[in-house]
Amino acid sequence: MAKVYNWQIGREMDYPFEGHRPQKQFAMVFDTNKCIACQTCTVACKTTWTPGRGQEYMYWNNVETKPYGYYPLGWDVRILEALGVQDMTGPVYQGKTLFDAAPTGEVILGYLPEDIDYAHPNIGEDDCAGTMPQGAHLQLPHMQWMFYLPRICNHCTYPACLAACPRQSIYKRPEDGIVLLDQSRCRGYRECVRGCPYKKTYFNAVTRVSEKCIGCYPAIEQGRQTQCTIACIGKIRLQGFLGKHDAPDEDNPLDYLVFVRKLALPLYPQFGLEPNTYYIPPVHVPPEFLRQMFGWGVDAAIALYRKLHEDKKLLAALTLFGSTPQIIHYFRVDGDYAVGYDATEKELVRVPLHEPVVIREAYDRAHDAYRTNIT
Amino acid sequence: MKRRLLSVVTGALALGLAALSPGQQVAEIVAITVPGTNPIVDPSAPLWRDARPVDVTLLPQTIVVPQKPDAAVRQLQVRAAHNAQWLAFRLEWADPTESNHIVLDNFGDQVAVELPVDPHGPAPSPMMGNPGGRVNIMQWRAAFQRDIDRGPPTVQSLYPNAWADVYPDQVLSVSDARAYTGALGVENPISRAAASPVLDQMAEGWGTMTVKPEQYAVGRGVWKDGRWAVVIARPLVSDDLNGPRLARGDRTVVAFAVWEGGNGEVGSRKSWSTWVPLVIGSGGAQKGESVKRQQP
Repeated sequence: MAKVYNWQIGREMDYPFEGHRPQKQFAMVFDTNKCIACQTCTVACKTTWTPGRGQEYMYWNNVETKPYGYYPLGWDVRILEALGVQDMTGPVYQGKTLFDAAPTGEVILGYLPEDIDYAHPNIGEDDCAGTMPQGAHLQLPHMQWMFYLPRICNHCTYPACLAACPRQSIYKRPEDGIVLLDQSRCRGYRECVRGCPYKKTYFNAVTRVSEKCIGCYPAIEQGRQTQCTIACIGKIRLQGFLGKHDAPDEDNPLDYLVFVRKLALPLYPQFGLEPNTYYIPPVHVPPEFLRQMFGWGVDAAIALYRKLHEDKKLLAALTLFGSTPQIIHYFRVDGDYAVGYDATEKELVRVPLHEPVVIREAYDRAHDAYRTNIT
Repeated sequence: MKRRLLSVVTGALALGLAALSPGQQVAEIVAITVPGTNPIVDPSAPLWRDARPVDVTLLPQTIVVPQKPDAAVRQLQVRAAHNAQWLAFRLEWADPTESNHIVLDNFGDQVAVELPVDPHGPAPSPMMGNPGGRVNIMQWRAAFQRDIDRGPPTVQSLYPNAWADVYPDQVLSVSDARAYTGALGVENPISRAAASPVLDQMAEGWGTMTVKPEQYAVGRGVWKDGRWAVVIARPLVSDDLNGPRLARGDRTVVAFAVWEGGNGEVGSRKSWSTWVPLVIGSGGAQKGESVKRQQP
């Protein structure tokens, strides 16, 4: 095992290959506070990439309800249970990663789901954490709660699928960090399905090899954000590239949200894969639950989010979510506008930080009519 | 990592050579001579009655990760025969479950015969060869046998209750729909059996297994009463640069591996043997010819 540095857990860790960070890293930020689980992203992905035979059950993008939604069934609670209770106080993680916890004869601690675990993609949908007792009233954080967790492949810096494949059929592109599974090299051993804790590689029983999210690389190569991002009606996503964790660029919206302000947090950083999709945690959910899922930065991120209205640059970064199909490489605040630029610093989009307020009188003199508030 | 691999390879080599060292009592597999020039593929053919069975001990693969320390098959009964053109192995083992239906949590039964590509040089590592020590691995797959006997799998045959409104190949041209066919579209040889249920492959160490562009190996497997009987055959002499060229009277080595699909065995999770001496019987006087590749 080589020693690699994982910035999310603040320490070096063991990984079967030496660490070579890509020139830039494909990344995505999700604002979970805005997601309504409409599944438009899921359908956009499905129709683009997985309508074929043997792909019926594949959701390279899915949205599940937490705490009781999972695809496949129990994916996160099963691996958390296998890993056992770990010390989750940061900023240096003292517990075991999934590589540390690998049993004898295995590359990583994992499990192979059963076919039936994929039978209910919407299990737990909209289910609350518990029942409301008589006389309950609204509190913050909510005593009973749920939230939506949109998920794609994390295009991890230290992918478990890549590490688990005995044939090196999975590779990470040096130019953008996208993790791909070679369809002509795979022999269908399902070691990647067993190894990936996020269960984002899928076995195709018709072709007898595995498949996974390709990060919409044909679009990415043309400077366009992924299908799931540009289809998002709630504008909860921003897809772009992360730079260096130790030398972040404040003008890159991804670097700014993840490295500089730490508003967006990785999913289960304790697994040790350095996943590259980042979540702005839901503010109404008890922090105890969120710390397990997004790590020790949750409390600070929620405090920051609550003061967003006072924070013009952070607000500008969030305003650019869903504002253009193009990849935003740089951004800045220009008066009351957030401006996004492409890789050549050409302006892509200009969005007002505040929507203008228009008040329409209830009585319309021109038509001699009263307006209702539904028009 | 590299250094560790190298030491493991060296160890494996030593293990392989130890099996061949003179002082040891190692059962020898003798390929008896039978008449004819056609491929030998039938495991129930009467000719096998004349071949002496050799019980080869198999052990779980525990050198590289990932492993299956409780790999199920520990003994393989091997017979060998050759005619003027073909060398064939009949492999029989106990397997209570016939596993030829591949879905996410079902693995297929498989058996493989390994021969050094250079039968006269020093034996490579029995564990899939080593850099510079190329081996020819012929792997029979129960799923491929099923493809040939009953047709390739469909979504409906794998999941009888599955339904989809429309597939790309129903509304797009063949070339446009190809993008949605995954490994089938790039003709991954693992996806389907071609003409033979046996994959003709080569390797120079772990993780290097490569299906050869031209296929020479043939065979057939039958599961009955909790036992598999499988024949794997290849030409004694062919124009295949990555297969051994063998003649009557030659002495070389052979190794075997078995995967019990019902026990979740796949890839490196398997049972295997070390090298076993192999003698190509010199009886009879028929002269063979170089065999051309099998047309799918």
